Amino acid sequence: MLPPIAVLMVAAFAHFSQEQAIEAAVGSYVQDLAESMAYRLSTEGRLWNLPEEPFSSMARYRIFSWGPAIPGWVAYISADGRVIMSSPGATNIATLWKEDLPVGTAVRVKDREGHRYTMAAYHMDQGRGYVVAAVSWDQLLGGLVRVGRLWPILIVVMTLGSFLSIRLLWGYLISPLRGLVAEIDDLRMGRDILNTVNPGGAEEIASVRDALTRFARAAVDRDNLHNRYVRDIVQVQEAERLDMAREIHDGPLQDITALLQQIHMFEEGEDIPVRIRKVEYLARAVVRELRGLCDELAPPWVELSIANALTELAERLSQNYEAHVSVDADESIDLGSERTLSLVRIFQEAVSNAVRHGEATEIQGQMFEDGDHIVFEIRDNGRGFNAGFDHETLRVEGHRGLANMTERMLLMGGSLEVKSKTGEGTCIRCVMKRDPDAQGEMS
Amino acid sequence: MPIRVVLADDHPLTRAGIAEFLRRESSLELLGEAEDGLKAWQQIQDLKPDVALLDIRMPGMDGVSVVQKVKEAGLQTATIMLTSYDAQQYVMASLRAGARGFVLKTVTPKELTAAIATVARGGLYLDPEVASVMGERDFDPEQLSTREREVLVLAAKGLSSKEVASRLFISERTVQTHLASIYDKLGSKNKTEALLLALKYGVVTLEELLED
Repeated sequence: MLPPIAVLMVAAFAHFSQEQAIEAAVGSYVQDLAESMAYRLSTEGRLWNLPEEPFSSMARYRIFSWGPAIPGWVAYISADGRVIMSSPGATNIATLWKEDLPVGTAVRVKDREGHRYTMAAYHMDQGRGYVVAAVSWDQLLGGLVRVGRLWPILIVVMTLGSFLSIRLLWGYLISPLRGLVAEIDDLRMGRDILNTVNPGGAEEIASVRDALTRFARAAVDRDNLHNRYVRDIVQVQEAERLDMAREIHDGPLQDITALLQQIHMFEEGEDIPVRIRKVEYLARAVVRELRGLCDELAPPWVELSIANALTELAERLSQNYEAHVSVDADESIDLGSERTLSLVRIFQEAVSNAVRHGEATEIQGQMFEDGDHIVFEIRDNGRGFNAGFDHETLRVEGHRGLANMTERMLLMGGSLEVKSKTGEGTCIRCVMKRDPDAQGEMS
Repeated sequence: MPIRVVLADDHPLTRAGIAEFLRRESSLELLGEAEDGLKAWQQIQDLKPDVALLDIRMPGMDGVSVVQKVKEAGLQTATIMLTSYDAQQYVMASLRAGARGFVLKTVTPKELTAAIATVARGGLYLDPEVASVMGERDFDPEQLSTREREVLVLAAKGLSSKEVASRLFISERTVQTHLASIYDKLGSKNKTEALLLALKYGVVTLEELLED
């Protein structure tokens, strides 16, 4: 705000100084004119013994015939206000002349139309008359006065204009921007979003604000998802550990304890062949249980080809569930152990879902090559469902299966698609690149 | 003349236990022991045993790869896989690589002797615990049609139905129909069982499995 106020003040000072300067110049000029005229009239009148009425000889003074050198008038006025003699066009002096005007100093007066004049009067003939000189500001200074009057207005208008612009700029741009910057400074990415109320201002700021809001919201969503994911992982890990501990406790631990008891009794010397058969029986039971545990933790057979691994799983699942699970895959397809394990887990989950939720009795997996891609389709004859669900909703509701399957595929740069309709079974289609390091986009 | 054997297992206690038994058995001669796949392959090349007992999971080179090398080198050594894992797909993978036997480490000495003797004669031996399907039921190979046998051999090699279909110039659906009929005739629940039974009954030979 300071600049316009400063400009305004400087302009006011300049205007004032200009007025003063003009007034001083015009004043001294008029004073000089009146004084010198009065002096000359009185001295020359005496020298030439002018009669009481010196009007005839006055015509000799050029100034009364032609007027002063600069726009102005000079007149000889009698004490009662009559114009006795004047320079051309000086009639208006009579209208300006007032008895009470101070003598000897220049004064500023205005006529009825508001035109400004500077006048000066001097006594003549011991008070019988006055020599009055006047200069019209309009005529003397003309354009200068007009400009002098106009430019303060211009300055004021311009100053007001700039003040208004600054005010607008402030309200429209700077203030909203400052607000936005303050909000961004306070924003904790992944935890907060910007105020939803738009504080106004330029449309562009609103757009930037919208974009930032979207970013902030995406960060919050991502963090929430991440947190839920981590929580899920931790929960699953804990649940698995608990399961495993229980299984080891109830299975191998009990069997080995029983085995030790048999050995202790054996040391006491009983029926040796019978005891050995019992020990062997228990030891075999431990081996079977531990094999089962190994299979559950990380099936060693995933080190075989994907076709082998899927077939092994299908045949095991067929025994575990009341459903016929089969796989058709070519032995020559090689996906590496990591991707094989992921697909084994996906197949396991899909079969489990199909049997538990879809009550399927026939589940068929088929893996084939399609150009640069490997496709793995899992079809079932279950109840199906209306696809069009949201993975996140499923996850929140505790159905991690499908979300996990999708994430596994995404992790290996592939995709998973579910096609299902109530009453028509379900088809899960996994697509991945044959060579995961190859360049190019997923189809 | 005793059967000459090489034993490879990375677990020292297991290896010591089996080696002790092999030494004790008069019909067998233990030529060497190896603690990893590379040493096993070296010993097979150097000692040219009749039979190699190979663990599947070993550092350096796994057992199935050693079997593959033996087959590729055209050596006469018959190989038996010796493993803790009872997955039937290990059996199929081993047989496709060229192994003649598959036994679990929980095998009894009697069974192991039988297994070594069987493969040394050129036969096939599968541990009853892993190949529980290997029942005693007799099967007449004539029950399968020529086309069914062709489908069975290709499926046994590990080809998918799609691949079998394209090789035989028939539709995938026809292949699946043939397979269903084969399972039914052999009395098997699934493909692996059918293949193991077909091998046991001699409908498909190990040699056919290894043909390109």
